[in-house]
Amino acid sequence: MSDLKRAPTQCVGPDYRSESQKPTAVVSTGVEFDTVTILPQTPQLIALLSIIRNKETQRGDFIFYSNRIIRLLVEEGLNHLPTVEQTVTTPVGRPYDGLSFQGKICGVSIMRAGEAMEQGLRECCRSVRIGKILIQRDEESAQPKLFYDKLPEDIADRWVLLLDPMLATGGSAIMAVDVLKSRGVPEDRILFLNVLANPKGIQNFATKFPKLRVVTAFVDPGLDDKK
Amino acid sequence: MPASAIAELEAVLKGTTAPETDSTIAKRAHYSPPWADVSIIGIAGSSGSGKSTLSQAIVNKLNLPWVVILSIDSFYKSLDAESSKKAFLNEYDFDAPDAIDFDVLVDRLRDLKAGKRAEIPVYSFEKHARLDKTTSIYSPHVLILEGIFALYDPRLLELMDMKGIIKQWFTFVKPNFEKYVNPQRNVADIIVPRAMVVQFIQHRLLEKSTHHRAALTRLETDAKSEPLSDQVIVMKQTSQMRGMNTIIHNIDTSNEDFIFYFNRLAALLVEQALNKIPFTPAEIATPQGRTYAGLEPKGEVSAVIVLRGGAALEAGLHRCITDCKTGRVLIQSNIRTGEPELHYLVLPDDIAQHEAVLLLDAQMSSGGSALMAVQVLVDHGVKADRIVLVTYSAGRMGLHRLTKVFPEITVVVGHVVQDIEERWIEKRYFGC
Repeated sequence: MSDLKRAPTQCVGPDYRSESQKPTAVVSTGVEFDTVTILPQTPQLIALLSIIRNKETQRGDFIFYSNRIIRLLVEEGLNHLPTVEQTVTTPVGRPYDGLSFQGKICGVSIMRAGEAMEQGLRECCRSVRIGKILIQRDEESAQPKLFYDKLPEDIADRWVLLLDPMLATGGSAIMAVDVLKSRGVPEDRILFLNVLANPKGIQNFATKFPKLRVVTAFVDPGLDDKK
Repeated sequence: MPASAIAELEAVLKGTTAPETDSTIAKRAHYSPPWADVSIIGIAGSSGSGKSTLSQAIVNKLNLPWVVILSIDSFYKSLDAESSKKAFLNEYDFDAPDAIDFDVLVDRLRDLKAGKRAEIPVYSFEKHARLDKTTSIYSPHVLILEGIFALYDPRLLELMDMKGIIKQWFTFVKPNFEKYVNPQRNVADIIVPRAMVVQFIQHRLLEKSTHHRAALTRLETDAKSEPLSDQVIVMKQTSQMRGMNTIIHNIDTSNEDFIFYFNRLAALLVEQALNKIPFTPAEIATPQGRTYAGLEPKGEVSAVIVLRGGAALEAGLHRCITDCKTGRVLIQSNIRTGEPELHYLVLPDDIAQHEAVLLLDAQMSSGGSALMAVQVLVDHGVKADRIVLVTYSAGRMGLHRLTKVFPEITVVVGHVVQDIEERWIEKRYFGC
């Protein structure tokens, strides 16, 4: 329980409201890595997390509300992809100075929890290719072991969005990144998208892969590997 | 007709009367919708003298939803047991002023005059009683009150713009007529031929439209130099936002892509808007047996779509709240004058109790229709600080106007444009 006491609590809500008009809630623990982005701790995000972490929540609601969080993660993650300037003509005939998306992407979900994030990814990126990696704990050694993988052939030329909603010790996520690197994907072209993470797990992961970007919704000291 | 009344009528017909709602722009700007200060025209006359026919003819001729007929018959009092007995024996005198509930009538007309919605009773002649249900009247610019005693109560006369009485009064002479209706002639400005009433109403409508547009322009000049209110939240222009904006703006984008990216962006707008609704702390018990301090929405969140542009944001809305109660309001700009006009309105019954109401429109340029839509919600009991307007693009001027008049509302904008743009988003989204 001592872990819980470290979880920071603060007022959440729009800047223009006074402190007294903003409710207080537990927010994500901070992480000191430039490569780790924690989603802004808005009241809406905290309410969504409250729904999915509540043991009373029904399955249908769980799926719907997780999906909303996952979409926010994907939207944030995609911001790390390259773009080039592009000027287009609008339907009313004026020029619009904008950006055009560059680089091919693909998703890779760490089975089986990561597969739950695929729908959210598809809602943001239609017809995205999605590979799969199955990692399970070896009964004898208690270490994570790779059982199966199926990845796009040209994965080395793509940006990879690696999906796993929970990061506890970081063991299986580290192994998944090793698999991707062995297929020729440079570390700095991998984005790890995650809903809930343990601070120690994040630390292990981010230390091991200093160029890999992580986007997470919430870092919680109380999270352990009981999924 | 007294000389003063003639002079007044002439002035009105020439359009030289002073504006009746001169909005003073202080710190908080004032907006007066065209239905504030409704013009009420009374048409009295004996039974069968053709009041209803005249009223109907006027409405048909004008063919506008802003002119409504209110029959005084709706305000018959519910009868007590004894009177009811008489009524069933056809012995009760419905043609006496005592049969009419003037208090309620005056009350309802005052509501309308204040721009509010009025619940009009429904009277059943079969039961000789008022029914439980009511009909609501909201936002007429001109209201024709017709009935044998339309000009009877002095409180009614005070509310009226023009007191007409039907010329054909002598056709059917009834005992009651001599007693009650005839004296009303003294207060009528004119005994009118039909064409003149129509002309009068047309002038009245034009005048209201002119005032409304002038008030909108005044709001514009006053807001020019100031920074945007901090309750206007413009989406952060991340590379994804800019990339999606580019696809949406590009004339060469396929319809399929346009809809896909607009829906994706709309969901983000709604997610942002949902950060502005009220939340309350909640103790959350997790499956691991822990509890922690989370949040839950304080109450129901509903939405109102400003047709037709707002409907383009509906897919995004339902990605965030699947079962959101959704009202609709159709506001169209008059092609000739550019004045926004309210054509259609349906809102959830309990909207005033909702903790937050998201008002959705795809584009806002001058802010005229957004102002009107917010006013409609406020008139229906929604507190301004519970309204979150969500729009894909907005002009600076429109944002200024809106937040000057309603400083309590929150606005979430995809991106801000400098000048007024035609509504191309909805054309693109719906393909017509």
